[in-house]
Amino acid sequence: MKISGSTQLALPPDQAYQMMQDPEVLAKAMPGCESLELIGPGEYRMKMKMVLASLSGAFEGKVRITDQQPPTSFKLAVEGTGKIGFMKGEGLLKLAPAPGGTDVAYDGDVQVGGTLAAVGQRMIDVTAKLMIKKFFEKLAA
Amino acid sequence: MATTITKPETLIGKRIRRREDPRLITGTATYVDDIKMPGMYYAAILRSPHAAANIRSIDVKAALARKGVLTVFTGKDTEHAGSVPCGAALPGLRVPHHHLLALDRVYFVGHPVAVVVATDRYIARDAAELIEVDYDVLPAVADPEKALAEGAPAVHPQWPDNTAFTFHQEGGEVNKAFAEADVIVKQRITSQRLIPMAMETRGVVADFRSADRALTLYTSTQAPHLVRTLVAQILGLDDNRLRVVAPEVGGGFGSKIDTYAEEILLAFLAMKINKPVKWIESRRENFLCTIHGRGHVDYYEIAAKKDGEITGIKLKIIQDLGAFLSLLTPAIPTLSVLMMPGLYRTKAIRADVIGAFTNCMATDAYRGAGRPEATHGIERMVDILAAELKMDPAQIRLKNFVQNEEFPFPTATGLIYDSGDYAAPLKKAMEMVDYDALRKEQAEARTQGKFLGIGMSTYGEICAFGPSPATPAGGWESSQVKIEPSGKVTVATGVSPHGQGEETTFAQITADELGIPLDDVMVVHGDTSLVPYGIGTFGSRSTAVGGTALYFALQELKTKIKKWGAVLLESEDVSLEAGQCICNKTRKSVSFKDIAFAAYRAMKVPAGSEPGLVSTCFWEPPNFTFPFGAHIVVTEIDRDTGDIAIRRYVAVDDCGKILNPLIVDGQVHGGVAQGIGQALWEEAVFDDNGQLLTGELMDYAVARAPMMPWIESGHTQTPSPVNPLGVKGVGEAGTIGASPAVVNSVVDALSPLGVRHIDMPLTPEKIWKLVSSGGAK
Repeated sequence: MKISGSTQLALPPDQAYQMMQDPEVLAKAMPGCESLELIGPGEYRMKMKMVLASLSGAFEGKVRITDQQPPTSFKLAVEGTGKIGFMKGEGLLKLAPAPGGTDVAYDGDVQVGGTLAAVGQRMIDVTAKLMIKKFFEKLAA
Repeated sequence: MATTITKPETLIGKRIRRREDPRLITGTATYVDDIKMPGMYYAAILRSPHAAANIRSIDVKAALARKGVLTVFTGKDTEHAGSVPCGAALPGLRVPHHHLLALDRVYFVGHPVAVVVATDRYIARDAAELIEVDYDVLPAVADPEKALAEGAPAVHPQWPDNTAFTFHQEGGEVNKAFAEADVIVKQRITSQRLIPMAMETRGVVADFRSADRALTLYTSTQAPHLVRTLVAQILGLDDNRLRVVAPEVGGGFGSKIDTYAEEILLAFLAMKINKPVKWIESRRENFLCTIHGRGHVDYYEIAAKKDGEITGIKLKIIQDLGAFLSLLTPAIPTLSVLMMPGLYRTKAIRADVIGAFTNCMATDAYRGAGRPEATHGIERMVDILAAELKMDPAQIRLKNFVQNEEFPFPTATGLIYDSGDYAAPLKKAMEMVDYDALRKEQAEARTQGKFLGIGMSTYGEICAFGPSPATPAGGWESSQVKIEPSGKVTVATGVSPHGQGEETTFAQITADELGIPLDDVMVVHGDTSLVPYGIGTFGSRSTAVGGTALYFALQELKTKIKKWGAVLLESEDVSLEAGQCICNKTRKSVSFKDIAFAAYRAMKVPAGSEPGLVSTCFWEPPNFTFPFGAHIVVTEIDRDTGDIAIRRYVAVDDCGKILNPLIVDGQVHGGVAQGIGQALWEEAVFDDNGQLLTGELMDYAVARAPMMPWIESGHTQTPSPVNPLGVKGVGEAGTIGASPAVVNSVVDALSPLGVRHIDMPLTPEKIWKLVSSGGAK
């Protein structure tokens, strides 16, 4: 499933960029994230709780940040497995200066499997969008 | 004592209410999940979330440490416990070894990976989630045409072309028919994957008594003896020490013919732990891991003359098999080939089947099993041909039907149609809808821009499976009738009814043959220790084959009764009337009750006879039976929403002689519901990675009562010469007739837009897009 969109952050691009590489900030902003631990360059171990329609469950996985072009773009890859299935996502985030802050555009692909796909499929699109929205809201806060 | 005999009312042909229903509607029936045993354990199965992956490692430590967990088994433990069976044979068939639990690779989402046995089912499930499996995910393929394309991921690495088999059948002069045709019509037609969705999911209780080496398996199955034979063979048990019981079975529709991994696994577990153990399939597991149905991509070509005579049919079937071959998986499309001429006379046919492996659950027999696909295809093609030739769809059918004087009719596919009057149900259905008036109304509606459709299907089926040489596991059936010492009658049948009502119809047959009240007859089934070896219930065979075995057992029993009666009446000249044996000279009589008592008391055994009153018959049918019928459907389409409203549904079925019209109507109604379900709503959707996206009832639109139209039923009765009851079978008729009738109706409604074919399901979205874009050729 393709996901794309854009949002604004009230920070200059270099600050916004830096914030999005900070595990503590990311951990606070990612909905359901319980811990995010740096395990290598640009690579984090993540624990999160995901709620999707009638399903909820803990996920464990990795977050990888690659192709860093500060302060204009980076690639974010998330993968997690849990009792209710697995999820995999990859996206390109682009930052551009805008009046009053930074425009952030994202474009990615999300894959889910297991019960999550069989039962939650119809909710994935809207849930993913909601999670992204919450992420940026918290980031901006 | 001379008696006046009051002949009891004949029960055959009457609307006798089902004797099964009181326990079903009062909730007192016993299903597998109602079985509770002291000290019983519960099993939960961990299943693969991936459609294709290598298993790097499995860590069960955390699961084992959980309080209440007895044991955990993985593929390594069951590696030598045999292969889940495929009973169908085809030349060159590639049968992958199907371990009970995945060994080092998973092949579809839902593939069993490990099993946890615990003191209750919640602990078992929670513990299953503690098992850590490290998967190396591989590319998967879920679409049969993509699976056959160059460079597709190999479902089984040893067979990179993903082809399990190819099958060719040809009859008559096909090339000539196409060379000399005035018109040739071609169409790609799909029959989408469906999920059978029995109301009761599968379930097994296994109980092992090690001192006797005796295992009892309670399982929700359509074929208990088959399960016994296969499980015994696979696990190396003696079949006489294995008892299989099918308690109340809450629907099967073909999906419970198979012997499943879980049935073998539970038997294996019970023997390992020496304790009773239960597994009940969850609804989500049922979506993923009980066989699916259909899954065809068909390429049709029909050759015809200008006057509408069909002269030849070419068909290429791509069958989506799934990853493994279940009991009958590869045989199902060969049934489509047998049925491909439908009710039509054409003698030139050519069929090519390709069985494609995909990373999905296996497909297998689902209500109709191969015949709905074939019927949908030919009935759609006949409509396409009629449209091409600007002929009325009824007229083109009447022109091509096998004629009454041609029976028994040998088909180009090697069948012999037993009997028929194919025009009769069509004409009756046309009368019921007032066809000519409807066409006028349609013409009028079209002038107002309304989409009103009239669609029909005239279907045939192959039923009463079947002559043993034509079936994978024997096609006969058994029955044993006992007159008990009290004079009451017990009928034991080898068929295993699970909704078809044979406890009622077999009692009707018995009561009529013996001239006794219905209430004196008890019908038992579904327990290998209570009934003679039987084949089971599927393929609309129970009454036509099992009922016939009962009929012949009753004839033998009547001879025995007469022998005992003759002794008691001291006369050789006796006959049976209304539950009495009567001396024809003196009109003295003796009741079955007295005869039964005498037969068991055995003070004076008749010469050449034996004590007791029991008869058993194993009956081998000489042929299949071939029911037929005509369904006409009137639809209206809402151009703003794409909604399809079925305004009328007329079903005229000829299933041979009708034993109980109430049950026949019930079977037709249920079948039509599933046929409309396929036509309009149902589809098992997989994404490109082999994930089932329609994995619960929120996403899989199974037909429900409020979605159903009123069904107007009609019948014609053409007795079958294959059995003395004259019956043919009706379990699958509704399903087979419904989908083409509905789709033909919708295509007819949209024909002013130039629409000539739409693939199922006809969702409002699909119809709305078609209407809004002004139609597509």
